[in-house]
Amino acid sequence: MVLVLAIGDLHIPHRAPDLPAKFKSMLVPGKIQHIICTGNLCIKEIHDYLKSLCPSLHITRGEYDEDSRYPETKTITIGQFKIGLCHGHQVVPWGDLDSLAMLQRQLDVDILVTGHTHQFKAYKHEAGVVINPGSATGAYSSITYDVNPSFVLMDIDGLRVVVYVYELIDGEVKVDKIDFKKTPTATI
Amino acid sequence: MSVEIKLSRSNRTYRPNDPLRGNIITRLPSSISHRGIHLTLNASVNLQVRGGSAGFIESIYGVLKPIRIVKKSIQVQPSGKISAGTTQIPFSIILNDGGKDDKFYETFHGENISIQYLLNVDVVRGYLHKSLSATVEFIVESEFAILPISPEMVFFYITQDTQRHSLLPELKSGGFKISGRICTQCLVSDPLVGELTVEASAVPVYSIDIHLLRVESIMVGENIATETSIVQTTQIADGDVCHNLPLPIYVMLPRLLTCPTVFAGPFSVEFKVTILVTFQTELYNVQTKSDPRALRKWVAMESLPLELVQSK
Amino acid sequence: MEFKLRDYRAEEEAYSLTRVSVSSHPLCSSSSSSSSHTQDNVSVEFFDPLRALSTEISEPVEDTFVAEKYPVSQPASHLSAKEWASFNKLLMQRFPVPKMISVSASSSKTIKGKKAIGELPANTQSDELNDSEKLTEKGFKTVSQQEYIKRLHELKDEIKRSWHSGDRVTSLKLSIKVARLLMDTCVAQFYPTLFVLATDIMDMLGDMVWERIKEKAEFADDGTKVCTLSDDFEANSICLEAKETCNNWFRKIASIHELLPRIYLELAIFPCWRFLRDDVTDNLMRLVMMIRGISDPLASAYCRFFLIHCAQKLPQRDTGHLVNCISDQKILLRQIISTKGTKFGNFLGDNKLLISLMEPTIEYTMRCIFKDPNKIADMIVRLELGKSPLELYGKVPWISIVLHYLLKVLPTEVVCSNALEILHLVDCSSDYTFDQCLNYKMVGLKLCEGIDQVNTVDAVIDEVIQAATKKKILDEYLKILDAYMDIILHYNMDRSLSSILSEIFERLCNEVVTEDELSTLQSIVVKLITHFDDMKYIFDLNYFVDILDVMHGSSRSIVCMHILTKATRNNHIDDPTTVKLLFDVAQSLHDNVDFSNTRSDDNQQAERLVARFVDKVDHGMELDRHLTFLVECRGAFSSMNDLKEILVHSSNLLATRALREKKNNLNFIKSCITFNEVTIPCIPSYARQLILYLETAEVSLFGGLISHADGILDSAVCCLQNVSLVDGLRKSNEDADGIVSLTRKLCSFMLLVPGNLEQGAMYIPKSILSLLDSQSWVTPKLRIRVLCSLLSLSATFAQNELPYHAIHEEVFGNDLLFHGDAIYSQELGSLSRVILHNMVDTIQQEPSQVTRGKLALEACNCIASFFKVNHEISSVCSKLMETAVSCLGGDDKYLQSTNNFVHKQSPLCVGGE
Repeated sequence: MVLVLAIGDLHIPHRAPDLPAKFKSMLVPGKIQHIICTGNLCIKEIHDYLKSLCPSLHITRGEYDEDSRYPETKTITIGQFKIGLCHGHQVVPWGDLDSLAMLQRQLDVDILVTGHTHQFKAYKHEAGVVINPGSATGAYSSITYDVNPSFVLMDIDGLRVVVYVYELIDGEVKVDKIDFKKTPTATI
Repeated sequence: MSVEIKLSRSNRTYRPNDPLRGNIITRLPSSISHRGIHLTLNASVNLQVRGGSAGFIESIYGVLKPIRIVKKSIQVQPSGKISAGTTQIPFSIILNDGGKDDKFYETFHGENISIQYLLNVDVVRGYLHKSLSATVEFIVESEFAILPISPEMVFFYITQDTQRHSLLPELKSGGFKISGRICTQCLVSDPLVGELTVEASAVPVYSIDIHLLRVESIMVGENIATETSIVQTTQIADGDVCHNLPLPIYVMLPRLLTCPTVFAGPFSVEFKVTILVTFQTELYNVQTKSDPRALRKWVAMESLPLELVQSK
Repeated sequence: MEFKLRDYRAEEEAYSLTRVSVSSHPLCSSSSSSSSHTQDNVSVEFFDPLRALSTEISEPVEDTFVAEKYPVSQPASHLSAKEWASFNKLLMQRFPVPKMISVSASSSKTIKGKKAIGELPANTQSDELNDSEKLTEKGFKTVSQQEYIKRLHELKDEIKRSWHSGDRVTSLKLSIKVARLLMDTCVAQFYPTLFVLATDIMDMLGDMVWERIKEKAEFADDGTKVCTLSDDFEANSICLEAKETCNNWFRKIASIHELLPRIYLELAIFPCWRFLRDDVTDNLMRLVMMIRGISDPLASAYCRFFLIHCAQKLPQRDTGHLVNCISDQKILLRQIISTKGTKFGNFLGDNKLLISLMEPTIEYTMRCIFKDPNKIADMIVRLELGKSPLELYGKVPWISIVLHYLLKVLPTEVVCSNALEILHLVDCSSDYTFDQCLNYKMVGLKLCEGIDQVNTVDAVIDEVIQAATKKKILDEYLKILDAYMDIILHYNMDRSLSSILSEIFERLCNEVVTEDELSTLQSIVVKLITHFDDMKYIFDLNYFVDILDVMHGSSRSIVCMHILTKATRNNHIDDPTTVKLLFDVAQSLHDNVDFSNTRSDDNQQAERLVARFVDKVDHGMELDRHLTFLVECRGAFSSMNDLKEILVHSSNLLATRALREKKNNLNFIKSCITFNEVTIPCIPSYARQLILYLETAEVSLFGGLISHADGILDSAVCCLQNVSLVDGLRKSNEDADGIVSLTRKLCSFMLLVPGNLEQGAMYIPKSILSLLDSQSWVTPKLRIRVLCSLLSLSATFAQNELPYHAIHEEVFGNDLLFHGDAIYSQELGSLSRVILHNMVDTIQQEPSQVTRGKLALEACNCIASFFKVNHEISSVCSKLMETAVSCLGGDDKYLQSTNNFVHKQSPLCVGGE
């Protein structure tokens, strides 16, 4: 059982002063094995904060990130899953399934995690899963200023993944669960 | 091919009543025959009067006849053979057989007087061969009864008024006072101890030294030839030391150069200690070195007799 | 060619994974106790120039030559040996040695003389002649430092060599020669180095003698081992022969005429006294007294230093010698002080140098005295410091330098429980050997260490303030108070604090403030800032702001940075007065920093702090006021480019906040957007401008400000055109990547913007297309990316309903505006055709085979995704697949998945393999 935190689009401090306190109190060091972050943190302090939660930290570059050393895309293998990471502002149109599927083929991954739209999404499409953890701070997006803070925790266990969605709605943390399995025959 | 005497004590020091023990060691490439191995013990007081000190007798006597303390010889082995390689032949000889202890003066090497104990071995061989021989000096320390030494401290003061020679005017007018105490009875094995304090001095002190002096006297006919020599100088203050702060006097007596004070008939060895205070002056460079013993104007001193005593 | 039709809503429904609400999840067990960990993680720390001083360690001149290896044979020596070695190292570093050293004539003989073997003073001692000889040879000679050190090494080697060849007499003679060098103090700054090197030789000789006698005691003549000496052996277990040898060594050494070398040699072999007697205390005390005979203060101080070192080799740790050493030292120092200006040793009048050279020996002695925590009480009594650790005497004058090192080692508890008495001690110990202020400071630091144990705090602080007030010089006044600030703050001594602040201000007004004073003042102010949580409270302190105004230069900047750090630690800064004051602080920081300089760390730090401040300022619901604040900031911090970006972000955030409140506030949003339109062009980087233009365009659409958005997009396109002129010149790939991804973002954004009828709906996509040809930095790879995006954009525009729309109800998407418009469709068709051809051409331009293959696949994916696959399209795809296969081979995974995908789109028409 491996816990992978998927988080992104924090836009600190430009659009939010900090993570919601309720999220912060849940995120404690030692629980999470990997963090994948889609980008737009935006400052180094947040990078350091994430690093303090878990040293295995993977970040791709959002357009507002100070640190230009983050790559555009990244792939990580955790257990039996190959995970692709990309911020998503460069996907046309934003969040489009066909465009994401192209990226997924290009990266050759089972799970593609992207952000930018600040809306939680989870799709099963072609042979892979596409996840958008949303914005952890509820920052306004390119499309809307009506955003609920959210992030995703993936529990990877063998061929099974349980995706927990943490969403802050009206001051309360709502947790949803999505369950899916990798079909070994799906990828060649 | 060699012979050697090895004494039982590594410091080669014996009391008159101690048996002198040891080994005669031969190292031979092949065995030899000999006509006996003999040991000879020879001890004497050698006296000489050096030029200058005794004046008129100089022309008559250079070296005086030595005074014999003891001379004896024993045969360690009768004629025989010594085999090749290293052979050890033990021996034992008694220094004092029945005589009085007091003639066994302690070993001493002075300027004019030397008291020496020698042990000689001879391996006598046939006419065609040279004897094998070796000599070793051993040291005798007397066995005088211990004086109950409750160290007798003598107090001394050195001021401009205690000096019998002329001083620099600034010393004379400015004045100085150096006081202290020193032990004038002292075991030869122990250090000479005391204490000294510069109480006042208008002229800065340059150095304070302790001179250990030896006075050797020899009867030459009706006259006594006396030679005083410095055995050791020990500096106890270097420069203008703090006033009123006692400084220790601590002088270890040099072995062989000192011995218990001796008053024998024909000769005597006595000791003195001198505290010498040198003051700073610009005159050092002026004075020539010609007469080192002349009392210089920037020096103050105090001499005290010192009795040295053998410890147990 | 026809675009594939999409139904985004249906897709969303079909592919979305179902969510189930849960109450148990991996993060739910997180207890509240551990949450505190993460609370205050975002803290800013910056370089404190005060701290930097202490960590700065200069490189040693030469430190390789001191043997750090000490034989463990001498019991108890091991631990202190290490300490000694490290202290020696420091000693040599501390005093810079000139290249040429002036030495006395007699030393010069030893250094320059080619004949190695000197005359042994023993036995052959002639007469007083020795003295006069020494006296007549006056004047100095000069020797190079290198030569001197080299000669000492040679002497050491010679001593070792003679010893091992059985010529111990020569070893001794040479060692005496070395010890004699220590009589010569005219080498001044070189003396500590000389001491270290010479005592290293002394230690070596001591060890060799010790080993020799120990061997005699443990082994019989024939080499058989008779016994093993334990560390704490007794003298009566030593055989006569070993004792004899030992005695001979002491006799030989005792026959050295000169006092100083005699002492050094005896100290070198001092541990050997233990072969002769069990209690060697008397001998040690005698040596302490003998050192009194050395009138040269430097020589005697270092001689005591060596004595203390040698005494540490003894198993029993008696401390009497330490007490006597320090009291003799005090007498000597008192004499130096009382006879100002007269000659001491070779220090003609330069007593300061003399004292500084002696200083390490005093420090070492004090350290040794208070080394054993069990003996502290005893030591306090023996040093006549007090009756007991709880009852010290005040009003007994000490030599200030000795007092300093005493205070340094005195346990904190003792200082704390006798604070008043100790202050009295400091008060009455004032001489030029050590700055009295630094002693006050030392006491202060000690008290701060044990801040909770301090008794009679009020009296202590009163005393300190009194002492400080007596100081006429501002620097001294500040230095003393600085050390007690922590106590004053800790005990909330507000009255004292305010009187100090007013006194400081008064003094500041009356004189020109020096750099030193400024830095001390800085330290005081920083302590204040650090202590209080609330900047508002600090600003309210009487004279605080006035004092701040007097400060200038780097100290002021540092203080400003501290203030900003402190102030931005809280989440919001909303008090108007505080905001105003902090604004002034930030402005003064801005004005103090030289931005023309290359971007140093300090500048970045300053800029970061000002940015944080701007970020944290909160005017609550008074959005107008905040915008005014932003305008002020833009004016005040004009040199900070990063800050301008922050201002733009803030203004955008402000606009979205206004929108969320859904009031009629169009004018306000307009003001925000206008603010950005003015601000963004001031930012030098076109890439940064582009990012901000896009964000502002997004926000203006939130507010329905279409014409603003159009204008901003025009500026954005201009930026893209200009990018090559400035940023592109850097030719860094990262930059190009970033700009391309921004261009792609712009494409996605276009879907929200209503097509401009004047310029034509496809004006911007076309501009981008034409831009590709004019920009030299666009590689085939980047070009394909942009082309794919443009194709994707055209395909999306062609849909009946766009995937997303602007949030403002009055902003209509192109799907509504151009629904059923034939010209619009045509335009999209012809644009996509141009793009398609452009793509195919571009791929052939890529020189790298692997990249070419990848680009072919990328293009193929894109084409197959957005076009309906007919003959024309499938033949294009086939060609691209062929290119890919020829470049990558058939095993490539991307190729295989693309092939699969293309097959699925049109299983009948495309035969890839």
